[in-house]
Amino acid sequence: MTSLAIASVGAGLVAIGAGIGIGQVWASGLQSMSRQPEMSSKIQTSMFIGAALVEGIALFALVICFLQMS
Amino acid sequence: MDAVTTTNVLAAAAAAVERKTLVQDYIRHHVLYHVADGNPSVWNLPFIRVPALDVFRHDEVMLVVALVLLVGIFALLYRRDREVPHGWSNLLELFVLFVRDQIVRPYFHEEDARRIAPVFCSFFFLILTLNLLGLCPLFSAATSNLSVTGALALVTGAFMVGGAIWKKGPLGFLKCFVPPGAPLPLMAILVPVEIISFFSRVFALAIRLFANVLAGHILIFALLSMVVLFGWAAFPVVFMVVGIYFFEIFMAMLQAYIFTLLSAIFISQMAYEGH
Repeated sequence: MTSLAIASVGAGLVAIGAGIGIGQVWASGLQSMSRQPEMSSKIQTSMFIGAALVEGIALFALVICFLQMS
Repeated sequence: MDAVTTTNVLAAAAAAVERKTLVQDYIRHHVLYHVADGNPSVWNLPFIRVPALDVFRHDEVMLVVALVLLVGIFALLYRRDREVPHGWSNLLELFVLFVRDQIVRPYFHEEDARRIAPVFCSFFFLILTLNLLGLCPLFSAATSNLSVTGALALVTGAFMVGGAIWKKGPLGFLKCFVPPGAPLPLMAILVPVEIISFFSRVFALAIRLFANVLAGHILIFALLSMVVLFGWAAFPVVFMVVGIYFFEIFMAMLQAYIFTLLSAIFISQMAYEGH
């Protein structure tokens, strides 16, 4: 039962990491889109790719948390 | 309060806590059971079990359903007899040209792009169909199984190795892991790091798709289990689940695009410039 509790705390920490990472990606993307509106679509594509990469790393840790549930 | 009432209240509270604990364990088992790998019941019908169908695992059946769906749509609904595509042909060409022009062409040269574009179109359509079928009522997601996404990532890995060997020869493939212009002591650290990064890229492809789809399904099941726990008080959860459902549809398309794009990037990196 306690491994489930610690795994839940770990899942919360993973959410903090993912939130910070994706927030930084989108923040810099929004700044550059406001500086150069004509590059908007390219920047948006790169933003989605960056967010997926950061989320992939966060999901490594989430899979380990899932493994504690069983 | 006298002793009898206190004892009764305490016993009722303990029974309520115990009942909630049992219900939580029951729900945890059922949430994991529905999204588990070897879930034997293929069709998640509410009260019906057909034991004869338990021979097939749910992801095998979903792969066959996706195969029949895709081959049927492309063979039967795509008409080549008109100059300007119309209807279903238009819709299918939209996606195929999106994959070819936005994913394959920016990273491969012309002749190679023409040859390898069907691989990425297959990736994109298969992963998109499997993810979207997982959101339909009686079906389950085959991509929520690590074996299925691992197989897709291994195909990408095979193309990375095979593409490098075809373009540069076996010695050139081994030279991919040795970055040029570094002193010899640094090579002893860099070469294992490069080899590890090769495997970790393939592994990350599999885990990214698997964990995104699995996490979405577990989230939906876990939120709906609040209705079992709390009864009518948890009714607003249903609206939240509908919102997450829309996000899952967006995630299905995004993950298909990301998988195909990263496969194209990795294969072109290994085949052309040698990382």
